[in-house]
Amino acid sequence: MIQEIDTATMGVLRLALDAASLRHRVIAHNIANANTEGFAPLRVNFEDQFDAVRSAIGQGQPIERGLLDGLRPTILQDAPLDGGATAKVALDMEVARLAQNTVHYQALLRGATKHLSILGIAVTEGKR
Amino acid sequence: MNIDPIVGIPPAAAGALSAQAGEAQGETFSKFGTWFGQQIAEVNGQLQRADANLQQLALGDANNLHQVMINLEEAKLSFQLLMQVRNRALEAYQEIMRMQV
Amino acid sequence: MDYSQAFEISASGMTVEKLRIDLTAVNIANMHTTAGADGTLFRPLRVVSRPGAQNFAGLFEDGSESSVYKLRGAQVFAVQEMTTAPRMVYEPGNPSADATGFVALPGVDHVSEMVNLIAALRAYEANVVAMNAAKNMAVKALEIGGNQ
Repeated sequence: MIQEIDTATMGVLRLALDAASLRHRVIAHNIANANTEGFAPLRVNFEDQFDAVRSAIGQGQPIERGLLDGLRPTILQDAPLDGGATAKVALDMEVARLAQNTVHYQALLRGATKHLSILGIAVTEGKR
Repeated sequence: MNIDPIVGIPPAAAGALSAQAGEAQGETFSKFGTWFGQQIAEVNGQLQRADANLQQLALGDANNLHQVMINLEEAKLSFQLLMQVRNRALEAYQEIMRMQV
Repeated sequence: MDYSQAFEISASGMTVEKLRIDLTAVNIANMHTTAGADGTLFRPLRVVSRPGAQNFAGLFEDGSESSVYKLRGAQVFAVQEMTTAPRMVYEPGNPSADATGFVALPGVDHVSEMVNLIAALRAYEANVVAMNAAKNMAVKALEIGGNQ
């Protein structure tokens, strides 16, 4: 019932949290296979699909709920940097990406918590 | 949320109030109503901006993580303050309505 | 996001320093190799790095303060061979010795390679420290407003 008075923010946050947790699993997969022969590291591609949503935010319009349907994060294989046959896993880069993804996940969670607590103030009329 | 502006007490019904004080209070009450309406619009704008910031953060477009967090917290505090002012105003209104004529 | 930029910048620095360490290891490993089958002697390699920018030309066109956000740390410009003269060592019994009994070895300076190794290692650690500091800053920024 809270969706009736809420904007599409929770939907966008939910998608971004899904992408972040998928990204974590992909990075852990890369790290676990760091020494496997012929293993090409995988990446999660998500932010590119958001152009329609981005333009809506840029113009200050509320986001239609239908815009968010059907957006799914995709897993891609990494392209080799030096034109070799397959890319290799760079362990320190994977750990750095893991740290960044963790911070991003925490930031999204904090944002979602704050957003819901603002709605809570409206619902409870400011009384505890 | 519909908030009725607090109607100024007409000097005739004020009784103990002097005419000057009554007029001054009539002005003050209508100013309060206007001011409160402005504050509602401002807090609404703050909340919308904080919302847009949060969506940008989710999409990966945010320029500043701490700015997003600060905007969110300020919007929340402003909203809490607005709610408290609204509660007090409502209580005062209800107390006045309870007065025996 | 500003904190993801900080991660990218530190990551680029780490990549450059890692390549530098790899090339130092190659130089040290080839310190005593003689000329190969095609007659060429190993030449010490070095990394030339320069500041990386997403659009280097755009940095000068766009004079607004957002241009500083286009900096992307360091990038490898080239891997060059150094043109140091080979070391001549007197070893008459060596199959690679020339007519006067001297063997040509690569001009790898052991001391400077060790110095490069230590410097690159410390730079790598410093980049890791910078990345950890950026991560801690972002986590602290999330605590704005307390635990409500």
